[in-house]
Amino acid sequence: MTLKTSKKNTSRYGKAEETEYQSLEVWSKVTGKAVYGIDLDLPGMLHGKILRSPFPHARIKRVDASVAEAMPGVRAVLTGAGLEQRPFGIAVKDELPLAVDTVRYVGDEVAAVAAVDLQTAERAIKAIIIEYEELPAVYDPAEALQEGAPQLHDNFPRNLAWQRNLERGSFEAAFTEADLVVEGNFTVPAIHQVYLEPIACVAVDEPYTGITLHTALQSPDVVRKIVAGVLNYPLSKVNIDGPVMGGGFGGRVYGNLKVYILSALLAIKSGRPVKIQLTREEEFIAGRPMIAAVINMKMAVRKDGTILGREADIITDNGAYSAQAPWVSKTLSERNDSVYRIPIIKTRVRLAYTNKIPTGQYRAYGNQVANFATESLIDMAAKKLGLDPLQIRLKNCVREGDITVHGLQIFKCGLSECLRAAAKEIGWNKKKAGHGYGLSVAIHANGSLVVDKNFRGASALSRLELDGRVTLFTGEQDYGQGTHGAFAQIFARALDVSPTQVTVESKQTKTAPFSTGALAMRQTTVGGKAIQLAAEDLKEKIFKNAAELAGEPVTMKNGILTSISGRKLELAEIAYHYHTITSGLSLTGEGKYVPEESDYDESGYGNISVAYSFAAHAVEVELDKTTGALTVNHLVAAHDSGRIVNHLTSRGQVYGGVAQGIGMSCFEGCLFNEGRMANASLADYKIPTSLDLPEIDPLFIEIEDPAGPYGSKGLGEIVMVPVIGAVANAAADAAGVRITDLPLTAEKIYQAMVGRECDQ
Amino acid sequence: VSYLIASNLDEVISSLRDGSGKVRVVAGATDLYLQDLPYGLVDLSTLPETTVIEQEDGLIRLGAAITHTTAASSPLILSRAKALAEGCKAIGSPQIRNIGTIGGNVINAAPAADAAVALVGLGAEAVIIDIEGNRRQVAVENLYCTYNRSVVDSTKEVMISLQFKSCLGGEGSAFTRFAARRALALPMVNAAARVKLENGIVKEVRLVAAPVNPAPSRLLKTEELIIGRPINGETISMVENSAAEEVEVRGSLLRCSAQYRVHLIGVLVSRVFKIAADRAMNPGKAGE
Repeated sequence: MTLKTSKKNTSRYGKAEETEYQSLEVWSKVTGKAVYGIDLDLPGMLHGKILRSPFPHARIKRVDASVAEAMPGVRAVLTGAGLEQRPFGIAVKDELPLAVDTVRYVGDEVAAVAAVDLQTAERAIKAIIIEYEELPAVYDPAEALQEGAPQLHDNFPRNLAWQRNLERGSFEAAFTEADLVVEGNFTVPAIHQVYLEPIACVAVDEPYTGITLHTALQSPDVVRKIVAGVLNYPLSKVNIDGPVMGGGFGGRVYGNLKVYILSALLAIKSGRPVKIQLTREEEFIAGRPMIAAVINMKMAVRKDGTILGREADIITDNGAYSAQAPWVSKTLSERNDSVYRIPIIKTRVRLAYTNKIPTGQYRAYGNQVANFATESLIDMAAKKLGLDPLQIRLKNCVREGDITVHGLQIFKCGLSECLRAAAKEIGWNKKKAGHGYGLSVAIHANGSLVVDKNFRGASALSRLELDGRVTLFTGEQDYGQGTHGAFAQIFARALDVSPTQVTVESKQTKTAPFSTGALAMRQTTVGGKAIQLAAEDLKEKIFKNAAELAGEPVTMKNGILTSISGRKLELAEIAYHYHTITSGLSLTGEGKYVPEESDYDESGYGNISVAYSFAAHAVEVELDKTTGALTVNHLVAAHDSGRIVNHLTSRGQVYGGVAQGIGMSCFEGCLFNEGRMANASLADYKIPTSLDLPEIDPLFIEIEDPAGPYGSKGLGEIVMVPVIGAVANAAADAAGVRITDLPLTAEKIYQAMVGRECDQ
Repeated sequence: VSYLIASNLDEVISSLRDGSGKVRVVAGATDLYLQDLPYGLVDLSTLPETTVIEQEDGLIRLGAAITHTTAASSPLILSRAKALAEGCKAIGSPQIRNIGTIGGNVINAAPAADAAVALVGLGAEAVIIDIEGNRRQVAVENLYCTYNRSVVDSTKEVMISLQFKSCLGGEGSAFTRFAARRALALPMVNAAARVKLENGIVKEVRLVAAPVNPAPSRLLKTEELIIGRPINGETISMVENSAAEEVEVRGSLLRCSAQYRVHLIGVLVSRVFKIAADRAMNPGKAGE
């Protein structure tokens, strides 16, 4: 992998300035001083361990924990039958903290133990006797939806966890008018987020403060509510105190609720702090990977390349419990439709329960899954019609002023600029002979309303400290993507101070403002806007107090206030002045950003977000035709994320997102053998190494969008979206045959090429 | 667990003898560390006998505790046993190559260990002594009793070194592998070849592929078929076809199907054969 410092950033408003502020938060990490969840060790802390089902589907006939309970060093044992349990869930309440009579996947939690050390806890769970009666199981989601398939949950007949039928316009009309209909069946396996730090939680229960969960989450406020509900604790008696987060990528939005709930229950029962830390194997067999999907998609096209409509029949694989799978299925089934001017769509999505690992979300929320299908079909159509894949995309891609098929209002959009820039940089018009080239485009919402229609924005608090520095309180989380550094920059710009003067505080749910979390690519746009407002509010108060102190109006530059007669006032003086006259208060600023313009109707039609980010990726590959081995040589990632707040961390986002996209395209996927995950280790679940990654070339097309702070928009999730389609298209270009089943392994490519030779 | 860093070979032998089956030999520990260790350990990684790299009378002798990094960067290995340098370079990650050893790669007995496959390709023999003081020499391919199990009992025996004929004039060797990713991945197939040419005719050849059997497997039928043949396209395709025909392999959900593995064996064996032959013909400045 080669990393380039791109100097090609362009802006409609002149040359964009490179900003590369490095927050000291980064230095805590690279010097090894940052404390992660797995590092935590509290006085008197016990170690918790979870006993899991060895069967994909079974009835629990008998549980005997008496031997474990009597073991020296064991302080608490929990079994499903011995607990008063409340069902919980994120989209659907279909889970219990511990299984009572039925287990539904290999890894399902059946008991938990807390002991003085990990070895004792491990011995204790092995001493718990569970008698099972195996039940017929179902692993394939399409089979699960059939009449007569084994049922997972009584209240979900035919294992249908969720479904949606949607038609906008008359699809029959699109077909009648079409010169060409292209169709494909696309399959994508469950993908684990593979954050570097396994999930760990230390739960503490104290009479006065209640439950504290020391665990790093992308969305601590939402988890706090769920945990309080399950434990039947008042919300204010549950606090989440976040250590530094070792990656998340969607996997830590709600993390592993079982770990938080069981560590809390063990802490309550034992009266001691309890730590549960998942092993990497547990991360795989009982994590929350992104749903697997099978997509049948048809696209109707006119011979000049105009897209007339698309139809999709999608089955997503929920696993045994729902987590966020219904929401991911919804985004998967529709977001990608808005990247082109597709006038008519028809979609059926069915989410099926199967006896496999419950599923959740991954960076891009399924948008990348649909991208694989849509972008493959676009290239298939271009090939059949003899059109250039670049031109067919330029012809159809959304532009400023468009209202898309789902009602998204595209106020600012640099998608066609991204396409042209990416194509130019990859050498689209001077292709190397024998190499394969592919393009793909993406749209992603900046904080969608889909999860909670009434909660659209973000808020922030700021406080001028006595030393003149500023503390910013936000519920928005940084798990390594650089959000807090960007917030310091936004805040500093609004207040007119240096970002080094700003400390961002988001650790504690009991003190930070509520946030829906690091999800939906909302933090820079929505969270950042709230931060800008919190700075402006504070600045107004600073001016008022400075004028009072000086006895005359003041102006401010670089953090120094000057009165009209020339008296200089530092921020510390103003802070101290206010502190004195109020007997101890500090000057504070409030920011609340509540975007009014977004809404949607019952069918989901409407402008679900304040802004949309865009991207076009271009890929160049080489193929060893004797083995099918694919080498991705070069990937150009052109992004319209508005004005870039920090080019250094933004490039980091692009490198990471592309790496994950390459992983999903060519390497990754949960493999199952009779419901058991067969590759539940980092040796066998293959994420790419640096040797497997291409030269990555980030290009930022900086078109200011007033929705976000200083024209900025989100860049987290969208990076992953176009990679899959672009790599698939480049591979098909090189191989002369198309693989529609991820990942694109050498064997699949080779077999497809051999198969094609046989056909001819 | 006791851990003794031996300062001479006698210490190793006496520790094993005193341990009566409870003490075993360790070098890089990269594989051993992953197992439960109910043993005492005696570390032989710093002895003169186990860290030697030398060539004498056309014979290369390598201490069993030579690390993969050392082997892959040794001028002698790079010029006279290129297959081993290539095999060692392919193992694990830089950290693993810095401490893992070629002897360990053989004793761990994984069916497709890269250094072991290269060593079999080169025709290496292991020098082993036991606690009674007996010394024996065994061809590397004969050191495997079953999958992941060596005939060498590390509580009673010590592999001191590996030795093989240097690739001098008219000889060349090569190694290659094919895996799901470029590092930290078990190979779907790996292959090594050693070729001796006289006037462009194959005089001697060793062709090895893995994983086919518990031990890296020589493709004896293919070797026999091409002895006496000139190096040309026809011979190379003969290697590809015959190698694929000669092996019977298994497929797995995690790696690849049997059918694809057979195809890869043909491709990879013919590739290493061609590269080794090229090196035999054009030794260049650096030797082979």
